[in-house]
Amino acid sequence: MVESSKKKTVTMMLFSPPFGNQYADHLCRVAERALDKGYAVEIFLYGDAVHAQMTEQNPKLFFPVGEAVKRLIEKGAVVKSCEICSIARGYIKGELKDGKKDYSSTKVINGVNFCSIYGFVDMLSRADRVLSFGGA
Amino acid sequence: MSNLLIEIVHSPFGHENAYAGLFVAMAWASMGNDVTVVLREEGVHTGRKGQVNPFENINLPPTEKQVNELLEVGGRVVADRQALQMRGIRAEELINGVAVLDVSEIRGLMVECGEKFLSF
Repeated sequence: MVESSKKKTVTMMLFSPPFGNQYADHLCRVAERALDKGYAVEIFLYGDAVHAQMTEQNPKLFFPVGEAVKRLIEKGAVVKSCEICSIARGYIKGELKDGKKDYSSTKVINGVNFCSIYGFVDMLSRADRVLSFGGA
Repeated sequence: MSNLLIEIVHSPFGHENAYAGLFVAMAWASMGNDVTVVLREEGVHTGRKGQVNPFENINLPPTEKQVNELLEVGGRVVADRQALQMRGIRAEELINGVAVLDVSEIRGLMVECGEKFLSF
């Protein structure tokens, strides 16, 4: 168990969608184990991986990625999603509303936040270790 | 300055990977950090010069422009010699500034930058 004063941050990037392959499953399992061991976990959903944030996923036979994402957030993981990838795939509008970006959506699991690629760069900057799932 | 190593193994145009990797590389470099992009396997096509109007033809941006912009801000881009040879791509067909390295040298880079490594 990692002591809280020395808590290290593991940042994980997911680049593949759920169900078509097992990268999202692996990420969720590794992230949960890291949280259980006392690491701070930050996850960035990039490209087609933003589909992992969809509400009401109902896989009959496959690993329930949506439920795993919810559980990771409840356990303290920070989950951020690529803003422009999410706009492209219809999850959010991202338009300015009262001076702020409109990220409201019924299609996105509660607790998933959005950021630009510069937000991801910030996540990488503070990471002690970076893990990459589904890019290659 | 913190170093980030980004590996691209998919060719541009057919996949989003090369663009996605180069976007991160550019953002990382623009914050004053060191970045090395390694082109391996089909990813070596990312570094080819002379890409002809992909945006006009298929609505996808040329990675040539992204690579040139990355090199201009001090990013490092290297291509795997063996992957180039297997695809019949000569060094002079690459964008100026893209270095060609042997696989052993690329492995060395990966070991050096092991803590922050992304694969696309």
